Amino acid sequence: MKRPAPATVRWLILAGLLVFWELFPRTGIIPELFMPPLSKVLAVLAKDWREYASELAVTLYEVACAMLIACGAGILAGALVGGVALLRSLLLPVFSSLYAVPLVILYPIFTAWFGIGSESKIIFAGVYGFFPVMLSTAAGIRTIDAQLLLAARSMGATLPQQIARVIIPASIPTVLTGLRLGGALTIIGVVVSEMLISSAGIGYLVTRYRTILDSAHVFGAIVVILLLSILFDTFARAVERRTLVWQTAGRRQKAGEVVQIAGSPAPAPV
Amino acid sequence: MTRFQLIAIRLLLLALVLTAWQVLPRNGIINPLLLPPFSDVLSTLWEILGRPQVHEAILVTSAEVIVAFVIAVPLGAAIGVLIAEHDYAGQIFKPLLFYVFSVPKSIFLPMFILIMGIGFQQKVAYAAFSTLFIVIMSATAAVESVRTDHVLVARSFGATRWQILTRVYVPSMMPILLETLRISMIFNFTGVMIAEMYASRTGLGYLIANWGENFQLPQLFAGVILLAVVAIAFNEAVRVLEHRVSAWRT
Repeated sequence: MKRPAPATVRWLILAGLLVFWELFPRTGIIPELFMPPLSKVLAVLAKDWREYASELAVTLYEVACAMLIACGAGILAGALVGGVALLRSLLLPVFSSLYAVPLVILYPIFTAWFGIGSESKIIFAGVYGFFPVMLSTAAGIRTIDAQLLLAARSMGATLPQQIARVIIPASIPTVLTGLRLGGALTIIGVVVSEMLISSAGIGYLVTRYRTILDSAHVFGAIVVILLLSILFDTFARAVERRTLVWQTAGRRQKAGEVVQIAGSPAPAPV
Repeated sequence: MTRFQLIAIRLLLLALVLTAWQVLPRNGIINPLLLPPFSDVLSTLWEILGRPQVHEAILVTSAEVIVAFVIAVPLGAAIGVLIAEHDYAGQIFKPLLFYVFSVPKSIFLPMFILIMGIGFQQKVAYAAFSTLFIVIMSATAAVESVRTDHVLVARSFGATRWQILTRVYVPSMMPILLETLRISMIFNFTGVMIAEMYASRTGLGYLIANWGENFQLPQLFAGVILLAVVAIAFNEAVRVLEHRVSAWRT
């Protein structure tokens, strides 16, 4: 007998999970408090979509601001650390040591400094997303093929020309990978900080409905966050694939190598 | 730039930061209520280390971290090896795992609370859950890092399965396995911290969240420094070991 294609099996597994999600709570194998059936969650989402939408708007605003901070500061710092040899050998090991510290323990400091409104979330998530962006930008600049720079220089390119025509195009793929990881982390950072202490946002909905044991609403919010992060991931991967043509400009590299070069072990410990 | 000089400059930078942390709040350039001077934080750290409440929190948190680690690492490694050695299973599950990996685990925290309450089990279960996927992925990578020509050579010289396992697989996988231990400990620790900060009655994460909410900033900073030092120390210790084991590779 021929085995079915892996992709088919994957879809079957997914469909099976959804069916179980509906059937197990319905038949009482799993209490509805632990996990309400899928149909109930969807019904709740359809009924209260206004509430979810307005809280989601708050979250999206925070995510957008945090991404601006993380990407702007991350690319700038990464370019400096990657481009200047002294800074690189001085700071990269320090950053990879600091990576061991769970950043979430800084959040109480941010709430004490900036209050429980949007500011503390934006700054926390910005810091959260900053590191992967910075590390992969640094790696992207470091791994540029030296031949390209040499060729540009020997044909008399000035430093601004070298930066605009060689360094930026050649480091784009690595930087984009960093932006994807960093973006995912800012979403996580915003949601986690909203769940911990806040008064608005989709993460706040999760916590509020959890404290009054309204499981259907909790799962509704979880579904919204899942969709948000999957959408972002798909979008960012699509952008990366489109710019993949550039990869021939730099040295070919797999994502794993970038991580290794950057000295940052892995993304998203949340 | 020699290694020694680099370390000297790093220490100098650290000293600068700490001096600024000490001097700026003392002179009122930064509000000392928001950033207590470094010396105050250190003396607070010494003081809270003597409190029985903190002793209990340290015990609880370490127990949670260790139990979750002991559950997640062997389980994840077993699943990872199965996926890597079994071609068909790998084709099915690897893309799925990549997707699950990119999903934030913390949004499932409320589910764990609804099912298990806010006690010890819930912390362990959530931390193990949030660690499991990185262990699976790294274990898969570890198996795939074994070079087939090494296995081939061993086999053609008549090595038994056991010999191939102990002489080829284990040494080849050792550096990645150690790195897996290190990274999964980071994930694990973060998981316990988030779970404790989110809903808990004891543990260091709970204390930190609580100090923050009560605006007790010297205690809060002392707690953050304590946790950061422990996390970095463990990380560096495993990293030294990693270097030692992977020395033969180059």
